[in-house]
This record gives sequence, structure tokens and C-alpha cells, in this order.
Amino acid sequence: MREYDVTVIGGGPAGLAAALSARENGAKTLLIEREARLGGILKQCIHDGFGLVRFQEKLTGPEYAQRFIDQVERGGIDVSTLTFVTRLERTQAGFAVTVVDRDGVETILTRTLVLATGCRERTAKQVSIHGTRPAGVFTAGTAQHFTNLLGQLPTRRCVILGSGDIGLIMARRLTLEGAKVLGVYEAKPTPSGLTRNIHQCLRDYDIPLHLSHTVTRVLGEDRLTAVEVAQVDDKMRPIPGTGEIVECDGLILSVGLIPENELAQSLGAELDPRTKGPVCNGQLMTSVDGVFSCGNALHVNDLVDYVSESGELAGRAAARFTPAPRREVELHPSPALLYAVPQRLDLNRDNSKTTLYFRSREVLERCALRLRVDGREVFSKRYPFLRPPEMERLDMDFTRFDLNENSRLELEIEVTGHE
Amino acid sequence: MDLRNINRRLSARFGGAVHAAFADGCVVLTGRLDTWSETVEACQLAAKKYSNLHVVNDIVCAEAQASPQAMRLPSLRDGALEGRRPDVLIIGGGISGASIARELSKWKLDILLVEKECDLALQASGRNDGEVHPGVDLSKGSLKHHYIRKGNAMYDQVCRELDVPFRRVGQYVCFDKGWMKPFIALYCLWRRKHDGIEDTRVISGAELRRREPDLNRDFKFAVSNPSSGCVCPYGLTIAYGENAVQNGAQVSLNTAVLSMEVEGGEIKSVHTNRGTIYPELVINAAGVFAEDVAQMAGDRFFSIHPRRGTNSILDKKAGARFSSIASIMDSSRSRRHSKGGGVLHTAHDNLLVGPDAVETFEKENTATRPQSIDTVFAKQEKTMPTLNRGDIITYFTGVRAPTFEEDFIIEKGRKTSNIIHCAGIQSPGLTTAPAVALDIEKMAVEELRKKKTVVPNESYSPIRHGVPVLREMPDEERAELIRKNPDYGVIVCRCEEVSRGEILDALRAPICVPTVDGVKKRVRPGMGRCQGGFCSPLVAKIIAEFLNVPLDQVKKSAPEADITFGRTK
Repeated sequence: MREYDVTVIGGGPAGLAAALSARENGAKTLLIEREARLGGILKQCIHDGFGLVRFQEKLTGPEYAQRFIDQVERGGIDVSTLTFVTRLERTQAGFAVTVVDRDGVETILTRTLVLATGCRERTAKQVSIHGTRPAGVFTAGTAQHFTNLLGQLPTRRCVILGSGDIGLIMARRLTLEGAKVLGVYEAKPTPSGLTRNIHQCLRDYDIPLHLSHTVTRVLGEDRLTAVEVAQVDDKMRPIPGTGEIVECDGLILSVGLIPENELAQSLGAELDPRTKGPVCNGQLMTSVDGVFSCGNALHVNDLVDYVSESGELAGRAAARFTPAPRREVELHPSPALLYAVPQRLDLNRDNSKTTLYFRSREVLERCALRLRVDGREVFSKRYPFLRPPEMERLDMDFTRFDLNENSRLELEIEVTGHE
Repeated sequence: MDLRNINRRLSARFGGAVHAAFADGCVVLTGRLDTWSETVEACQLAAKKYSNLHVVNDIVCAEAQASPQAMRLPSLRDGALEGRRPDVLIIGGGISGASIARELSKWKLDILLVEKECDLALQASGRNDGEVHPGVDLSKGSLKHHYIRKGNAMYDQVCRELDVPFRRVGQYVCFDKGWMKPFIALYCLWRRKHDGIEDTRVISGAELRRREPDLNRDFKFAVSNPSSGCVCPYGLTIAYGENAVQNGAQVSLNTAVLSMEVEGGEIKSVHTNRGTIYPELVINAAGVFAEDVAQMAGDRFFSIHPRRGTNSILDKKAGARFSSIASIMDSSRSRRHSKGGGVLHTAHDNLLVGPDAVETFEKENTATRPQSIDTVFAKQEKTMPTLNRGDIITYFTGVRAPTFEEDFIIEKGRKTSNIIHCAGIQSPGLTTAPAVALDIEKMAVEELRKKKTVVPNESYSPIRHGVPVLREMPDEERAELIRKNPDYGVIVCRCEEVSRGEILDALRAPICVPTVDGVKKRVRPGMGRCQGGFCSPLVAKIIAEFLNVPLDQVKKSAPEADITFGRTK
């Protein structure tokens, strides 16, 4: 039976970085990928803009991934592609990973696990779209797969629901392929994607963005013939009487990503309802000892650079992991925050350079992030603005705050209107 | 109820707008009404439940006329069936038609089943909750009652023979009023005696909570029916169809019956979009269109009033918290024609919630509506307070095909000699199908023997092997299959863990439906929580390679359901 120190599940950007950093930290490492090629969803992201933070360069998705794949291929990491994890079980010394591939069924033993399983797209039914079930309704990622990997045009005339980044990217991509993108509809009063994508993907191509609008119904029996769009109220409910039929043959959905954590849950890892990812500590270890989480499985990131960063952190921590009792304090984000990661700090581990990721719940201007310990403000940072689509990242030295397991750690955002 | 009485009541309710008369052994309603709900009400007023004196609806309904609903026809036109002279022509590829085809294939007969959709079980048989009902709560004397226990009892054997998963998970009808318990206990005793159902029990609220902790904690007691089960309704239909084909029957999809020539009380020919067929005997298993087929055959003696129902499918994570079937006893029992939906652990381990019941004149409108989900959840949250709409992964609407008498019609033509009707099939039609099919087989053979000798099909085998389900196998068995066929080790659908090998098996099955939906119905890629987001391009590619056609020729379902429009620039 094969045995490893670290087994990384998922060969996208998070998993690649995790495997590399586990190897660098001396661990015997296995990287498992269910598809035939490494790179995850980056394979189909042929637009540029990747790597600005990390490499100060504008790379395409495949180029960004290739930098990591090249390093992985330099050796020292066992890579199993076209390999699918069917089961995870705890063992005395770690975990048993059961996989299937073209050779059969294999169980692998590993001391630690890094779950880099990415996320899936929310579907039409998950955002209460009703009507018929014709062909022509795609999530943005599926449309991107058809267009960029299979070279097939999924629509000639479409409506895009949701202003998430993939939706915006696909608006531009389909326009370049000769399809007519009639408009992007967003139920929220503010865009969900990055500002740069609103400019580069919509404005530059004269594609209208309809805020506070949603698609309520799809029409057509075999192939989509039209959608019904409607204005929504401040609770995002369609306003009766505002419905309008838009003729199109495609509906592309960019209505959110859901971290994939079925494997984490099978081991009993606690999930954070805010991130839908596992509750982790500063080492990105989940509530299950020896199980680490990173990338979009941990929380949905806006930039791949941060995905790689969390992969590196998880890979390193997994390689260095030795079992120890936990002494954890929870980090309580106020309602003004959509979420904060990590959710806990283990005082028995090194928290001198903890990376904190957070998003605000709403668009806020001139505000301050404040950290309080037992009601006492110990840290604050001003922000000219915070926008939910843009994840914020902050390095913190928590050892400065003299924490103990009874400390109450609160993170909040206050609109200061500072001059 | 005599005619005078009916007309008195109709006139009291609708003035002179509607009138009932006896004609050809039916109660025929004529007149004009504005809305469909009034039309249904008028017919229901004239109908006697479970009677074989049927109401025929000839009321002109303004609402229905305003949006006429012609039967949707396949675009295909060819002569593939031109001049075929089958012994038996079965119209309709739902659970009824498919099971009848299979039972008839025991005989050396030329059997042709035509289905206007691009696959079997695309209407009501693929759009229901899959419950195999226990057979209590139906009035004696009805055909539903006659067949339900027989059908229920046949399920173990039929599903074993056809390699279809079936589990008797048990059903609970739950009560929140403790004072009702003695009455319900008596009722159960009476039912046991009346229906011979030995296993029905009243169980306490505590016992119910022990068995199903997620059910409403306010339930005081429940009626437990252990013989209830869950089956995959379209899986069973396809399995029946495949077994029929293995035994020599022919299934022709995308084939719609357009008209018939009837002479001297006998169907001479049947026109379809794929040619004219000259059958000895016709079996009408056309679901919501059974009345239309009867009309074509000159044998219309009943009317169908379509009733829509919507079910939601929830994530397997929700399915894992509940293992049976449960519903809250609805105190408003008037006008109920089913137990009013419930929550159900499906044959594929999801949680199903629904259905509702809404009268409609649109036989083929299966578009879902948000109100249905609201109604169903408002009701079933009382059954299971932990229900969470956030767990919904999909929803679908089906249209039931009841008569106004709310019973099945299983009989030979009244005016036309060479037709057998299997009509008015609604809940519990899935449960009864195996038993009904046996009776229709008998009726058909008897009818055919008037014209020719009918001998057994010596090569008949009741055994059908489905596609192996690798995710459910122990590791050793799975590894062994992968050794023989490495494609079983390539997972294409991550949510349902479906391999390339299983998809190719589905394409090589006796009834090949090489579409994304066809494969999805057979081996489940795309049925999971991502709803095909990851795997649908991969499945399309496997189909294109299998058929050796360009990717843009692979369809979602019908021939017009294009997925892509050809190469990018």
C-alpha cells in the first residue's frame, strides 16, 4: 500500500501550490487530479489578468497554471491524474484515501490531507428560475468549457444572468466569437464582479448591465427561445408587472460559486455557513486534525494569486503537521463582514504571521476594519472603500495581542467617513 | 345520480350554460363556460367516482379555446414504419405501454410500441415521485383498488428481473391530533380486514421520532405502511422497454399517431409521422392523450382532465437525514384525489418533496412555477420542519391523466373492436402497472386468438441486465470490472460518480437514446448537485465520439434541442 506524508486532492491552482510547498517542506507528497490534465478550471480561462499580484505579469489561465505544473513536473511529487477519490477514512496514523482510476481501485495511506477541491457553479434551479427545460441554459463555466476547450459556440444570442467575474468574462468571450450578448442582468444593486471586468468586458463592448434585474423564467421547448426578465425589489424579489420577454437562444448563468466540500464533510469537518468552506485555523487546518483546506474550497477567491497563496500555506502546514492538543479562539466577524478566514486561531501554533482574508457584505466607502480583543480595540486599518466582489487580504501578528482561550476576538467594519 | 338530478345541479351552479345528456353510454356535457376550473367543476359534478359510466367533456371552454393546445409533434417525417403490419400496436411509451410491451413479448407476436417523444418515460412516467403505494385508502370496487395490492406485491420480482433498484422503505401518514388515534386505529383494523393488508400499524409519536427524527416533533402518532417503497419511475419504464426489445418487440421513438381509419367498428390503419401502420390490435396507453387516441379510434367514452404536479429534488445530504416516505394527514380532505404529496427518500438517495395538484387544460405544459414550490414547501415543512429550500437541486412538473371518475379504464373498446384502453392512469398507476400489464396481456392475447393462433415466444427471457452501477459496488468487485474495462475507472460525473464505461454501456443498451438527457436518465451523469455543469460537455463529447458525428450534432433531448451551434471562429 502506498504511503504519503501529504496527499493533496485537486490539481487546480490551490492543489498545485499545496503540493509544491509540501514537497519543499520535505514531505513525501501525492497530488490527485480527477481530470486528465493538471490546472483545474484555469485550463479553460484563456483570458489574461492572472498573476498580477504574484508575478507582476498578466498571464492567461493556462500560462499561470503552467508555471506551477512545470515545477511539479521537475519531480519529487507523485501525480495521479484521471484519478477520482471515492472515499476518505480516518486511520490510526492519518487517513486512508480510496481512489478509482483506469487501473482499478486503490487505497492509499496518508498522514495528512490537503483538500483543494475547488467549487461548483450555482445552477438555474438554485436561483429559482422557472419555466421549461430547454437546451441553451448554461452556467458560465460550462459555456466556457464548450467555447474554449471544445471549440463550440454555445449560443448566438444570449442573456447573461449575474455579474460574477466568469459571467463578465464570458460576455466578452462570446462577443468576440460573434455571438450577440443582449445584456447582463444582476439582481443586486451593485455588480458582483471585479470593477476591471465591468470595464474591460462590458463597457468596452457596449454590453448593457441591468442592475436590480433578474431572469424569472425560461421559455422554449427544445432550445431556449426567450427568457423573462424582471426588476427586483430591495429583497431581490421580482416586482410583479415588470416582467419583459427577451428573445434569445442562450441563458448564461454567473450566479455564484459553491465551495465543494463533500469530502471534507465526509470526515466530519465543520463548515462555516458564511464561506461554505471548512472552519479553519491560521494554519488552514480544518476542525479535523491533519486535514487542511485551501483555494476556492476554503472560500471563493477573486484572484488566483490568493488561491495559490492559501495552497502554499496549507501545503506547508500539512507537511509540518505534528498532532498536538488545540487551544483555539474564535474570530467573530461582525454582520458588516460577509466572512473572514481563518475562523479560528490555535494558540498552540504560530500565529505571528497569519494571513487574514475577508469581504465586506456591502459596498462601503471610507471605513475602518477594527480588531477588538475583549472589547478593546487592538488594531485598525482604514480603507477608502470595501466592495464585496473584492476580497481583502491582511497579514496579522496575533501574538502581539496576548490572547488566551477565553479571549473574545471580534472583527468589525465601521464606516468612519474619515477625511 | 340520474340525469335529471345532474342537470338540476348543473343548472343551479351554472345557470343554463351547461347541459348533460346520455349519448352512446356516456354522460356527455355540452355548453359554454368561461374558465377551465368551472369546466372541471361541471364535469366533476356530473361524474360518479369510480363509475364506469363516464363523463365526456364537450363543454366549450373559453379559457382553453383562447390558447389552443395542439399535441406537440416530432419534426421527423419519414417512411420507416410505412406498411408495417404488427400484431399489436402500443401507443405510448410510458410505464403502461412499456410494461404491456414486455408482458406481451412472452408471446410470439409482432409488437410495435410508438412514442411521440424522443425517449420513453418523458411525460407522467418520468415526472412523478416514484412511490410504490401500500394500497390502503382506496375504495373497494375501483380498478385502482383491484390492482394496487397485486401491483405492489409484484414489485420485488419485477425489479429483480429487470435489474432496477427498489426498496420497501415504508410510508408514514402522520397525525398531529392525538384524539384521532383511536378512530384511526379502528380504521386501520377495518382496512386490514377489508383489504387484507396485515402490516399496516398505528405507531406512537415516540416510535415515529425514533425511526425518523427529522419529522415534526408535534406528531402524536402515525399510520405505518411498511410495504411502501421507492423505485426510479423512468428507470423502471426504460427497463421494461429494454426487456421488451430484447424479447423481440420494436420501440419506435419520435413517432406520433396522427389519425386512424376506422371501418365497421375496426381500426384499419394508423397514420403516423413515420408511415401508415396496419395493426391487428391497438393498445391505447397514451396518457393525457388517451382520450384523443380513443377519439381517433371512434371509441371516445371518457374524458381526461389533466392535473399538474410539481416535485422538488433535494441534495443527497438532505436525503441522508431521512429514509422513508412521510406525509402529514391533511384535514381538508374534500376533493382529494391523492394523499397530497409528502417527503420521500428516492431510489437514488435524494430527498423528494411534493407534488401538488393543479387542474389544467394544458396537457403538455410542464413548465414549473414558483407558486408550486411555495405551496408544496409550505405544506411539507409541517411534515418535516428541517426542510431547507437551499437544498433544492432541481424541480420538475408532470401532468397526470385522470378521468372525471378518477379511476383507471382498463377495457376493450366499447364501439371499436380491436382496441384496448389503458387510460385514466394516474397515481397509483406506477404501483399498479405490473399487474395491469398482465391483465392487458391476457385481454390482448384473447383478442388476437380470435384472428390467429398465438404461441409462446420460446426465447423469451424476463431477465434484463442494467448498466452496472460501480459507485455502489464493493471495492474488489469494482476493481474487477475496471480490470475488464478500464473505462469504468474514468469518472466523468463527479457528483453521481458515473464512469465513462457506464455512459458507453448506456449508449449500447437495447434502446439507444444518444442524447445528453437520454444518457442522464439511464446512468445519471448530470443528476447531481451541479446538474451537469461539469460533466455535460464531457458527456456530449463521449456521445459524439460514439456516434462518430461532430459535437454540434449531439442534442440535449429532441432533435431540435441543439446544445451548440458549431465551431467557434
